[in-house]
Amino acid sequence: MPAAVLRLQSVTKRFGSVTAVDRIDLAIERGEFFTLLGPSGSGKTTMLRIIAGLEQPDEGQVLIGDRDVTALPPYARHIGMVFQNFLLFPHKTAAENIAFPLRMQRVGRAERDERLAWALKLMRLDGLADRYPNEMSGGQQQRVALARGLISRPALLLLDEPLANLDRELRSEMEVEIRRYQKDLQIPFIYVTHNQEEALTMSDRIAVMRDGAFEQVAAKTEIYTNPSTAFVAGFVGHANRFDGSLGEMAGATARFDWKGIALTVPKPRHGQPGAAAQFSIKYEDLEIARGDSGTGLAGRNSIPGTLRDIIFKGQTANYIVVLKDGSEIVVSSAPRELDLQPGETVTVHWPVDRGASYQA
Amino acid sequence: MAGNNWIRRAHRPQWRFAFLAGPGALFVVVALLLPLLSIVVFSFWRTESYELYADWNLDNYRALLSEPAYRIFFLRSLVMAAAVALTCLVIAWPIAYFIARHGGRYRLLLVLLLAAPFFTGIILRVTGLQSLFGPIGLVNMALGVFGVAPIGVLMYTPVAAGIGLVYLYVPFMVTAIYLSLVNFNFELLEVAKINGARPWRAFIEITWPLNWIGTAIGLVLVFIPCLASAVTQRFLGGPNATSFGMSLAQQFGETGTWALGSAMGVLLFVASLLVILAMRRTIDLKRSGFTGVIGG
Repeated sequence: MPAAVLRLQSVTKRFGSVTAVDRIDLAIERGEFFTLLGPSGSGKTTMLRIIAGLEQPDEGQVLIGDRDVTALPPYARHIGMVFQNFLLFPHKTAAENIAFPLRMQRVGRAERDERLAWALKLMRLDGLADRYPNEMSGGQQQRVALARGLISRPALLLLDEPLANLDRELRSEMEVEIRRYQKDLQIPFIYVTHNQEEALTMSDRIAVMRDGAFEQVAAKTEIYTNPSTAFVAGFVGHANRFDGSLGEMAGATARFDWKGIALTVPKPRHGQPGAAAQFSIKYEDLEIARGDSGTGLAGRNSIPGTLRDIIFKGQTANYIVVLKDGSEIVVSSAPRELDLQPGETVTVHWPVDRGASYQA
Repeated sequence: MAGNNWIRRAHRPQWRFAFLAGPGALFVVVALLLPLLSIVVFSFWRTESYELYADWNLDNYRALLSEPAYRIFFLRSLVMAAAVALTCLVIAWPIAYFIARHGGRYRLLLVLLLAAPFFTGIILRVTGLQSLFGPIGLVNMALGVFGVAPIGVLMYTPVAAGIGLVYLYVPFMVTAIYLSLVNFNFELLEVAKINGARPWRAFIEITWPLNWIGTAIGLVLVFIPCLASAVTQRFLGGPNATSFGMSLAQQFGETGTWALGSAMGVLLFVASLLVILAMRRTIDLKRSGFTGVIGG
């Protein structure tokens, strides 16, 4: 087993009566891109600050390599960090900002210049070395911040929503770039975000956080295709959620009663017939057909409804289907696949092994 | 037609600006610049038996430069002002830092408390100090009770005058630094620490340079009035603390040598101007915590 670069052992942090981080155990391996994904207030930033040493945990240990750094101040941990609002030193030029960690570590002049040239080249900042932060664009500032975080080749780079302040186009460009730096340098990155697309694009592993604890920690494809809880299912990807009750179980499936409609769904991990449950299925796992096909599709669930609108997204389109009782189901599909018009009667259908159900 | 034109012109921005700024500018010219000008003029005249005579000469300046007494007074005031400004700096920084960083919702209250000494006049405050430091003052009386000899350095010495000036001017320094610190992003210190800076290094690299404008303004606000100060030295300083300001006041009072006094005033003005220009040179807008648009 490869040695973990970072290890957290039942780390806990409380603010008054709120437990921001609740007995977290975690091991990050060399070369790993790890993302903490969660809504605001889920404790992901607090966790990052504990790793950085900006916050002391109330309980538990933080180990970097094999060294217990729990009591060490940030300046003794050799960690890099990139912040949401860049936080460049406004009175220093790009070059001075980037070389700052090396100066603090008393790295010699010659090596400093060499590494500065390397970082400027890596971040494609050539020609901007003498600019001040307020003379650079947001994307340039963010690259300076990344260069500052990486120049001393830290044991670990922490990134706290670093792309949140950039516009959409720049963001998707930076997502690819950041992943490339990480793979080239093999420095483990711990990336905090509430944006699931960022998490899915960049990460190797994702931890979905909720109320200071991990809901699920797994490879990103696993998180996406096999969410272990209703919360993860709702937070990652775009899913329709049905609240109903369980019926009898047969093999891998269970009967599921939703507003009087009988569905067959994958069996939940826990749960008895009659128990309240939630069924969650991603937009793209549903299919849509013209007309009312009734319930005659073999091995499939089907729900009749009326097409209300088509939201064109480019490669796909979201078909919004209204049921008799007014509730909506969203189906994502290739837009040219069907020549449907709003107002038409349609049927939403899907194979019974798709989606996942959770005991409520 | 002409009236219409006049109205239209009055609505142009530059005219509106002139109407708004005009009265203030007039006041500055009449109340500040004219007296200054007259002092410059008087400094080249001559006084005899309490009368000013407009025969132009340089005798006043010659006297100021050749009489050792004036040189001593001036140097004394210069050293005093520098010492007081630096002492205020050392005292004020931690106070301002504490209020800005940890004052929380009491920040405004704490800053307003700094203005409390201004509720009374300067003479009253200085006499207050006199009754603290003097031979029968609170400090030395208390020492006497315990059989300890009085602290001589507090009784009518330049040190006592210096303490008095620090007491009078430290609120200005605290306010100037505080106003700078409330606009300072303390998160930058966390960034510095993560990047390997110990607390002191972070202060020197980040906090100090980014708050230098406020500090420089504080230094000027303390140094310049101290350079001209007379009252504090007169009440607390004793015979060895005679300042340039005291001597200057004498020219306009007891001795009635207005022309010489005016020359002294001009000298003070020039010295203050040089200090301000020197401070200005230390401020590089890009590097001193100025985050707005430069030029443009």
